[in-house]
Amino acid sequence: MGQMSQWGSSKFSNAPLCPPSTKLSELQEEGKNAIESPTSPTLPDIGPEGYQLAENEERSMIEPSSRENPKLIELVQILLDWINDELADHRIIVKDIEEDLFDGQILQKLIEKLCKVRVEAMEVTQSEIGQKQKLRVVLDYINHILGVPPLWSQHKWSVDSVHSKNLVAILHLLVALARHFDAPIRLPENVVVTLLVIQKVDNTLVTRTVPEEITGGHDDIDGRGERDAFDTLFDHAPDKLNVVKKTLLTFVNKHLMKLNLEVTDLDNQFHDGVFLIMLMGLLEGYFTPLYQFHVTPTTHEHRVHNVKFAFQLMEDAELARPKARPEDIVHQDLKSTLRVLYHIFTKYKSGPGSQGIPM
Amino acid sequence: MDDIFTQVREGNAFNVRVWLDNTENDLNKGDDHRFSLLHWAAREGRDNIVDMLIKRGARINATNMGDDTPIHLAAAHGHRDVTLMLLHNKANVNAINEHGNTPLHYACFWGYDQIAEDLVNNGALVSVANKCDDVPLDKCKPYMAKMLKDRAIALGQDLSKIPFKDRSWLGYKTRSRDAVLSRYTGIDIKELQLVGHIAKTHSGETWRGSWQGNDIVAKILSMAVVTDRNIRDFKEEFPKLRIFNHPNVLAVLGCCAPKDPPDLVVISQFMPFGSLFNTLHGESGIVVDQNQALRFAIDIARGMEFLHSMEPMIPNFILTSKHVMIDEDLAKINVDDPKYTSGDATLNGVTCLCTVLIPLILGAPVVSSTKSIHSGHPIPQSDPVIDEDLTAKINMADYRFSFHEKGKLFSPAWCSPEALQKSPGDINVRASDMWSFAILLWELETREVPFAELEAMEIGMKVALEGLRLSIPPGISSHMSRLMRICMNEEPGKRPRFDMVIPILEKMKLSG
Repeated sequence: MGQMSQWGSSKFSNAPLCPPSTKLSELQEEGKNAIESPTSPTLPDIGPEGYQLAENEERSMIEPSSRENPKLIELVQILLDWINDELADHRIIVKDIEEDLFDGQILQKLIEKLCKVRVEAMEVTQSEIGQKQKLRVVLDYINHILGVPPLWSQHKWSVDSVHSKNLVAILHLLVALARHFDAPIRLPENVVVTLLVIQKVDNTLVTRTVPEEITGGHDDIDGRGERDAFDTLFDHAPDKLNVVKKTLLTFVNKHLMKLNLEVTDLDNQFHDGVFLIMLMGLLEGYFTPLYQFHVTPTTHEHRVHNVKFAFQLMEDAELARPKARPEDIVHQDLKSTLRVLYHIFTKYKSGPGSQGIPM
Repeated sequence: MDDIFTQVREGNAFNVRVWLDNTENDLNKGDDHRFSLLHWAAREGRDNIVDMLIKRGARINATNMGDDTPIHLAAAHGHRDVTLMLLHNKANVNAINEHGNTPLHYACFWGYDQIAEDLVNNGALVSVANKCDDVPLDKCKPYMAKMLKDRAIALGQDLSKIPFKDRSWLGYKTRSRDAVLSRYTGIDIKELQLVGHIAKTHSGETWRGSWQGNDIVAKILSMAVVTDRNIRDFKEEFPKLRIFNHPNVLAVLGCCAPKDPPDLVVISQFMPFGSLFNTLHGESGIVVDQNQALRFAIDIARGMEFLHSMEPMIPNFILTSKHVMIDEDLAKINVDDPKYTSGDATLNGVTCLCTVLIPLILGAPVVSSTKSIHSGHPIPQSDPVIDEDLTAKINMADYRFSFHEKGKLFSPAWCSPEALQKSPGDINVRASDMWSFAILLWELETREVPFAELEAMEIGMKVALEGLRLSIPPGISSHMSRLMRICMNEEPGKRPRFDMVIPILEKMKLSG
């Protein structure tokens, strides 16, 4: 405890140097913790020596420096965005992947949304036992859907590990869900964290570090298992690629022409989303009021907003969900742009005489 | 509060007014014997309530189960003021009840001389026989019979007896509305006998069916997925669409949200004529003359005025000719009109209607000669102006739910430039609706689809950003084109309100 108070006092003695905003957020954080602490499982960061381990028992945790891994941070953010996208209709916003998922409530909503089912689990509860029971029901259901053997999942994610807010377990679980449901996100490849494993051997604690793979390399192209025609096209037939581009360009211009718009270059004229929105309106017979998007986007956020809106319109038109992320389009990723346009093309290329795409 | 029928009988005008102000109450509903409120008010001689009901669009010639119309009851109970009020509002003076009696039969029988005289002066036939083969003159005292007979001859009536003809089959059309229509909100989809598929549009699929013996239309909203939140919002939003108390607003009867498969269904009354858009531009076979077009404009303006008077206003309603339904003017249905005796009982003789209206379009003088021929007996008409047969109603079933078709406008041609650019929260919605009304006027005048040759996206972009506007073609009266221009003012604040537009249109109609 002496250590704690020392931390405390040093924090206050440093106070004048802190920018006010930081101080405020710290204070808020502290207040939040104070309010929430009775309901969350007690897991203060008391260091390895705090654990009461039986002989040969081991515990693992993420090595602190591993948390700074930019790939890990990206992965967490992508998963968060995905969950928030899926649960937008429930007005649920998940901010923290460790703090918000441990009690099973969000996981229940997520699996219900993904499977379009209702999972009969008890209502939100404050007690640890209640939370764990709920989590058990939800995880059992998820394991059943994913079709993973109980032992394997026990190793990767268990009621106890998820409930104790173990980041690695939660990530394994979410990555498995995202893959299984073909989430329209691209997971960063080769995300590996370093685990600190503590074992009690002969009454002394022995620590070692083990690398733990969250996502692999080869199987994460485009966030799903298989390669598609565009991958092949890009890798093996660059000459054909130009034919495809030309066909798409003709198709797009045939429609945009009505608005006196013309695309000359597929590579860099779709990244702000405006043409995609116009195209969808022309093809589906509606107008999109101008307050719904940015007619002349100037920032990255504007462009992402526009592309997201265009994606929404495509989804409404029952087009297959684009594999690309809106960000990919904004970043002028040609493969992603072509995939999206190709989706549109296949649905709306109409009538006899229209040219099929040679692929 | 006692039930509304008692309130009307007892003449509690204040309570009746309060009841009528509640949008969920249907002023044309009938009691167990299908007496409407107007029947009771007429029977009890509640002049002020009769007046109130008529002004709010009560059906003048509604029938109860005995086929009495309100004027039968007023005449039978000696309420002269009410009788005159009803006559003045186009009550059918020769309506026949199940016994074959006209209002004149009753006035004669009960010895209401003054009323009998009023009726004859307004075209009541003195020689209509009832089921027992008695004519009204048989029912009254000799001096009275002579007086009425002389008056009838002076007015040119043919005195040969008109035999009784059973027309009770007409009753289904004119009877007061089934009160259950406005009673239920939540409806079980299983109760709807959905039979005919009508149409599939961007907003949903419409089916015809029946519910509790009423012809209904069920619109299944087009939704990619129906979430719990959608269902919650849906159930929260639809009750305010149940507006039964205005003749120019077509209420949503109810809604259901079946779980399996998950759907959102909006139920409203079936309107055989379809939308105004359909009537004007489709192959409806209905001829809309200038007078009828003005009548539609007035109806729409009245409906909109009412919607604009609501607090809070119903959001997300876009005024277009597709969202206005055409109905027979039940308030004015008159079964003695020749078109109802033409044998076609099902579709109120639309063909007859056309023969009446076509000469008008071609510029023939407005004389209601067709109407006055009744079984070979010319009826002297006090009012030679043709009354329109159709009325327009704002269709609340075309309200756009907050979660539906987000970010899309399928009919931008009717939207004001500001509505195409800014969110409803940032504009004056009432002024914006007035712009839409101007487009409707243009449509009624030109009989063309606004911006017909352009696609929605083109219309929206060009109206919003390039100043594209409808041009008013020559040949439209100077009054009308001036009105359109005012309603389409570029400055939303300078557009008039509906309550200002209605008297102008009424004046045009009178002078036209």
